[in-house]
Amino acid sequence: MPHNPLEVRAEMVANVLAISVSAGETVEPGQQLVLLESMKMEIPVLCEISARVREVAVEVGDVISQGDLIVRLEK
Amino acid sequence: MLAGAVGAVGYAAMRVHEVDTAKALASGDLMVLGTPRVLALAEAACVAALAEWLDEGETSVGVAAEIKHVAACGLGSDVRAVANCTRVEERRAWFECEVYQSNDRLLASVSVERVIVDAVRFMARLAAVDALKD
Repeated sequence: MPHNPLEVRAEMVANVLAISVSAGETVEPGQQLVLLESMKMEIPVLCEISARVREVAVEVGDVISQGDLIVRLEK
Repeated sequence: MLAGAVGAVGYAAMRVHEVDTAKALASGDLMVLGTPRVLALAEAACVAALAEWLDEGETSVGVAAEIKHVAACGLGSDVRAVANCTRVEERRAWFECEVYQSNDRLLASVSVERVIVDAVRFMARLAAVDALKD
């Protein structure tokens, strides 16, 4: 799947521990979008671009697989 | 008959005791559920999934596994595994398993391959190999 910075997707199977943003919020590069748990570690998912959150596609406690949509952004 | 096992689902469950910990299994230093025990639970779920598809005298043995141990859990935790048989070829069966803590927190995802054998012949062959070794 080609990398699309507006679609933040899971790189591996993980538990969703925390959600740090909500729809409509403006985000900046380096800002944490969600916190995942995988490979026995807490893994922050960081924003790559300046954008607005269009949709948060996960909830705390969700189990996500590689390629699953986490956050959809819009310019 | 084994071909019908595709889509079969099996379950296994356990509570984490001291003997199940990485420390007790010598697979680590901590008193948390050890990865080898997680694999064993996933394989138990695979065995359960296959149970009704085997002929009299047949059993299955594990031959390959890939485990992603996503999250740790401690003593006293209730853990369950579910295995889905995804493919069968002649005497080989493949499974995708997930292991969860009781609160639906994913602990591991495991891919398993098992081979169906005749139990008596398998053990006899093993005994013969051991006898030759001695």
